[in-house]
Amino acid sequence: MRDNSLPERDVDTKTVKIAARDVQVYYGDNHAIKDVNVDIEDKTVTAFIGPSGCGKSTFLRCINRMNDTIDICRVEGDIRIDGEDIYDRAVDPVQLRAKVGMVFQKPNPFPKSIYDNVAYGPRIHGLARNKAELDDIVERALKRGAIWNEVKDRLHAPGTGLSGGQQQRLCIARAVATEPEVLLMDEPCSALDPIATAQVEELIDELRQSYSVVIVTHSMQQAARVSQRTAFFHLGNLVEFGDTDKIFTQPEDPRTESYITGRIG
Amino acid sequence: MIELINSISVSLLVLIILGLALVGYFTVRKHAISAAGGDARVLHSLPGYYGYNAAMCIAVPSLLILVLWLLIQPMLVQNAVIGLIPDQMITEGSSVGLVMSDVRRVAEGLNTAVAQGALTRTEAVDLRVDQTDVRALLADVGVALGSDVQAPVLQAAQKYRALTATGAATMVVVVLAIAVLGFALAFRMTHPAFRARNTVEAGVKALLMIAASLAILTTVGIVLSMIFESRNFFQLHDWKDFFFGTSWAPNFRGNSDLAILPLLWGTLYISVIALMVAVPIGLFAAIYLSEYAGPKVRAVAKPLLEILAGIPTIVYGLFALLTVGPFLVNLFGRGENGVLGVEWMSGATSVLTAGLVMGIMLIPFVSSLSDDIINAVPQSLRDGSFGLGATHSETVRQVVLPAALPGIVGAILLAASRAIGETMIVVLGAGAIARISGNPFEAMTTITTRIVSQLTGDTDFASPETLVAFALGLTLFVLTLGLNVVALIIVRKYREQYE
Repeated sequence: MRDNSLPERDVDTKTVKIAARDVQVYYGDNHAIKDVNVDIEDKTVTAFIGPSGCGKSTFLRCINRMNDTIDICRVEGDIRIDGEDIYDRAVDPVQLRAKVGMVFQKPNPFPKSIYDNVAYGPRIHGLARNKAELDDIVERALKRGAIWNEVKDRLHAPGTGLSGGQQQRLCIARAVATEPEVLLMDEPCSALDPIATAQVEELIDELRQSYSVVIVTHSMQQAARVSQRTAFFHLGNLVEFGDTDKIFTQPEDPRTESYITGRIG
Repeated sequence: MIELINSISVSLLVLIILGLALVGYFTVRKHAISAAGGDARVLHSLPGYYGYNAAMCIAVPSLLILVLWLLIQPMLVQNAVIGLIPDQMITEGSSVGLVMSDVRRVAEGLNTAVAQGALTRTEAVDLRVDQTDVRALLADVGVALGSDVQAPVLQAAQKYRALTATGAATMVVVVLAIAVLGFALAFRMTHPAFRARNTVEAGVKALLMIAASLAILTTVGIVLSMIFESRNFFQLHDWKDFFFGTSWAPNFRGNSDLAILPLLWGTLYISVIALMVAVPIGLFAAIYLSEYAGPKVRAVAKPLLEILAGIPTIVYGLFALLTVGPFLVNLFGRGENGVLGVEWMSGATSVLTAGLVMGIMLIPFVSSLSDDIINAVPQSLRDGSFGLGATHSETVRQVVLPAALPGIVGAILLAASRAIGETMIVVLGAGAIARISGNPFEAMTTITTRIVSQLTGDTDFASPETLVAFALGLTLFVLTLGLNVVALIIVRKYREQYE
């Protein structure tokens, strides 16, 4: 037993999933992200922390090209997922977003039933051959989202009728239903109460088994609890990036230390 | 003194009251400051509020009494005068109203004569039919009468004048007294502890409430008048024929067929065609403008589309009559000479003509409402859909439109109620033949056009042919009211669900 568990753990870590080099983002004339270089590993939770307006959400939205939907936004530099440049002309942003799922700050279930919410992605990408397969996908996604037991009896009730925490877990289930490789979370717990937050955090930890998770958060406790790697952004710069334990105990940069101890924010 | 009071007209009286209110404002404001020993901070309210309170005390009760007086006095005078008219005159002259209008006219004539100096004040009071030719006298001052003035009428007119003059004089005295009383009251009330600010607040609230209730009362009045006139109609005409008959053939010699069904059919047919034009075009325009168009295109296109909503409907009617109608005839009519070589359409007026033009009229209505509704769909829903890898049109079709659907349905129902109530386009474009037929190339007619034609020209307001207009109007009102209510219910119900 002990003999086979060790090599498995080695494979689990240290594969670079997302590699960003010299990324610049401009909103009109405003230079929002400056020279960001970061390597995000597979099957790891990476937390982005930093004061409001520091560019962490903007950078997160570069990873699935959501910034394309904002007219005045311009992205320069190089972001690669599995070695493939996602800003290459040949890459279809629509396909990319199926591979890089996203969960937003505020739970945003569609005004449809719970089932249709989860089936939305698989349907538009044609992932199921028939109804039975689709049912399967939905059930699996809801189980992954740790919400199956609460909703299995009312799959056809509107998703908007759930509580805030349930809605957010539904959105996570919706995002994992398309079998993404990367899951981006933009302050997923900021609209939730402590109990719902704890449930979602537990879920994030489970999702790490299958995905590379990137989470933007304002709560340093949350970053410390759920992430293995942490990146600290300040005024559009990536100040420090490293193991979460190290960032929170022995930060190298004085700005990181001031932020973590609450002196800037 | 009496002369002076008599020379005050109602508008002058109002001006005097308003002037008094202005004086009251400044006097009481000053009084409040002096009552506080020159230190405005001691006062409960700002000095201006004491002034406003005084102006309110002066103007509001007196103006209210003035309005009531003006409404009630003519009724009282008429009741007093009517006793002077012998019964046989009323039977000859067919109604009390007619005789009374004669009396009023003579009275006004006498007033004019006095004002122009043709008669002195005493002469006017002492005038007798057997001594003077009143008709010729009044004709000289420019008041033409239909027949010779009879003794009772002249007497009644003289009494009418006397009562009206006394009433007016009393009114001036009473109203001014109330205004002065209000002034005195406000002056006495003003001391530093008096809460003038709260009183003014109550006054403002009352003013706003009056404005709101006036609007509602007017609506109620309109509905009631329609209901009463419709009741008169149904006393003269069988309600079963009106609602279930199939023929519309008004005939001013009586015995008309007055059935609503052919008109209702025409109305609904034209409205459906109009909606078939307006809903897809309007909705797609709204989707383009709100989802796809860049800010520059939007800034130009949206106002342009809304200009379409500002075109008077009579202009659309002309467009239907002079452009669309002949174009359709060219396309679907004229046999061998036509574009398609068919002989389906004989005249320019048809259901299709009116429906198409009405559809064009409704496009901005649908698109502007839908645009607002689509814009109100939260951006987070679009982000969620894009984040799952949906394209723009998938997002619009599967997320934005379902979320906006209740609002859009509401917009369409509102457009439908406009289509049903639309008049000018159908007057000019739809024709005047009442019939129930499925052929869109035929002329048909609608409820609104028939109301217009029943009420224009020489009309007798006691015949069913005229009164039917009110029954038609009431039906139309119930129809559009029902549509609006359903639209509002739908919009409200689904809005609650999605927020």
